[in-house]
Amino acid sequence: MPRRNDLENRALQIVMGKGSEGILQSDLWRELKANSRDGSRISLKLEVKNLIKREKEMSNGRWTYRLFVKRHPLEIDSVLDIPCVTCPDIPKCEAGGEVSPALCENLTHWLLSLTDTEKSPKVA
Amino acid sequence: MTAFIDDDSLRKIANIVGGEDAIRVVMALKDVGEATDDQILMKTSIKLNDVRKILFKLYDHSIVQCDRIRDEKTGWIIFHWRLQPDQLEGFIKNYKRKIRKILETRLDYEKGHDFYYCYNPTCSRVTFEDAVELVFHCPNCSNPLKYFDNSKIVEVLEKKVNQLDNELKEE
Repeated sequence: MPRRNDLENRALQIVMGKGSEGILQSDLWRELKANSRDGSRISLKLEVKNLIKREKEMSNGRWTYRLFVKRHPLEIDSVLDIPCVTCPDIPKCEAGGEVSPALCENLTHWLLSLTDTEKSPKVA
Repeated sequence: MTAFIDDDSLRKIANIVGGEDAIRVVMALKDVGEATDDQILMKTSIKLNDVRKILFKLYDHSIVQCDRIRDEKTGWIIFHWRLQPDQLEGFIKNYKRKIRKILETRLDYEKGHDFYYCYNPTCSRVTFEDAVELVFHCPNCSNPLKYFDNSKIVEVLEKKVNQLDNELKEE
């Protein structure tokens, strides 16, 4: 039997996947293969955690909720182009350290590639 | 705590930690919820040693957790692995903080120095202080050193540091 936390995660992933369109609470628990009681408990929990918002909506003559994601998912894209991301020396990289950001050759290459400097120098 | 992260970001994080194979391991774990090393091997066809290496790397970053269970028949300890999605936000934030710090250090260095360069693509920039000692000749090719304008580098670094500041504030 899936852990409750796993169900919450799956529910959140589904709601996130629906974007601004949102998803009906009744459709969510069907996608989760859960029962309506679990479905509404989970969506309520996610709302309490401020991760989603619920808006009342009439569907097939019954009141239900449409669930929308409240926050944007955490993005890591802004750092992916920086060479430090895949650098094995990152744990020891600090000012005056064994590896220093000031003199890092990879960082220099990356910076120069962004500046369009002609005849760029090789390293710092 | 429930993780607020999508599959795409999960793949990217796995890639950072252990490359393509780590993506396969993480996605396999995501599918099954919990698995032993052998089960992951069966799902990914990655060599057992490599599966274990990747799992321990992911464990070092708290991206996976494991339960150690002793097999009653063999007496061996079997590791049962599962993802820790609630730790992924922390991983991203810490990584951004660390990279922000690196970029800020570099920014201070770029702002605090003047650079000289012979404009030979195979040579390096030198700081003003070093250039004085070298009597403004490149230590590599001996050509005269000329002033190198690093304002674009400073601009790029400032922009990136500000971007990370904003993202960390929002998150």
